[in-house]
Amino acid sequence: MSPTMRRYVRYALVLLLSVALILFAQEIKLLKNPDSTPITSMTFVGLGILWLFSFIGVIIADLMKLVPIKVIRDFPILGWVSITSLSMCLISDFFVEAIQSVDFLAITTPILTVAGISVANRLVDLRKTSWKIAIVAVFVFAGTYVCSAVLAQLGLLFAGN
Amino acid sequence: MVKNFIYFLFFVLAVIATAELIGIQTFTIGSMMISMLPLVFAIAISMFLGLSFLRKGILKKIYSKKNVDFASKYLIFIMLPLMARYGSDVAPQIREILQVGWVFIFQEIGNLGTVLIGLPVAILIGLRREAIGATLGIGREGELAYISEKYTLESPEGRGVISLYVIGTLFGTMFFSIFAPILLDFGFRVEALAMASGMGSGSMMSAASATLVARVPEMENTILAYASASQLLTSFIGTFTMVFLAAPLQQVMYKLLVRGDKK
Repeated sequence: MSPTMRRYVRYALVLLLSVALILFAQEIKLLKNPDSTPITSMTFVGLGILWLFSFIGVIIADLMKLVPIKVIRDFPILGWVSITSLSMCLISDFFVEAIQSVDFLAITTPILTVAGISVANRLVDLRKTSWKIAIVAVFVFAGTYVCSAVLAQLGLLFAGN
Repeated sequence: MVKNFIYFLFFVLAVIATAELIGIQTFTIGSMMISMLPLVFAIAISMFLGLSFLRKGILKKIYSKKNVDFASKYLIFIMLPLMARYGSDVAPQIREILQVGWVFIFQEIGNLGTVLIGLPVAILIGLRREAIGATLGIGREGELAYISEKYTLESPEGRGVISLYVIGTLFGTMFFSIFAPILLDFGFRVEALAMASGMGSGSMMSAASATLVARVPEMENTILAYASASQLLTSFIGTFTMVFLAAPLQQVMYKLLVRGDKK
């Protein structure tokens, strides 16, 4: 197997792990609350589609690295996956229906679990940052969110929406 | 090696199961309603158990260097199905979104809030050049690259942006999952808060929008559609906003604020 091939196989497997964890989270969610999104055959189709769109997005992101325009080269994989999925979902409602049978919150739990593990070794870095920056961080995060929300609220008001 | 990875897998399953079984916990402080989603418990548990003084026995094997490296290297791929899911949230509402398309672009200017609100606070509590790095944006990869290119990461500016990056990575999702619904109680419309959630960080956007959904479940489709459309827009024009608006504004404000300080 060529190194590129091997790399893609690894991506494919990690994506498979990701959708498998989503299925697991959705199952546990159902145990806890039987009224949450049921697991049907459509759920499996939906997970398959999520896997496929993610993989297509990865390939597009790789191909775009060859484009001589910086903005396009630097555009994140996450964005390419959203665009791939959005275009496919605009083409056919079937994709929308299948993906919507995957519970939204069940997708988020595995991600944050892995995120927590991934930062484990950075907790040490926290000691090096000063408490002053921690205070600033609160205002920075709150600042961008509140300013955007105020502008959005005004905009929607003017749009009469 | 393989054995450690198997421990890792079972650990991930156990954390997911625990977080999902805790479920959504809602409590009120005064008139504010705070909802904690399973995703908050998931990151809290997996971060807490990774603390170095707890890393003994099986936890040491789970948090082995290889496993932690695997998690940080492939986190982005684990996130991809979520990004694919957002396509299906935006598609059915694309017409409605395009109709108010200019509002989406207009609220992007709100990302200057990091400078407008963050910088004066930073100067006030005595930060100087670090403040440049710490308030340019929410400290994601884009700002990290910009600051390192312009000042290097060893400079005070660089230290500022790295610190913000670390804090954002560790606590960003938790912060927004608590903060977003608080604004709901301040009378903001949920559509506006959904739009504001697209800030350029996938996990922070998800945390903010997911908590909004938990509070206003009947608006789920609109919230997820608006948040992800706004996120997509930010990933397109966020760099431009930073380079052509945030950075110049920051320079002007910095000079004014520091001068006022000396008098």
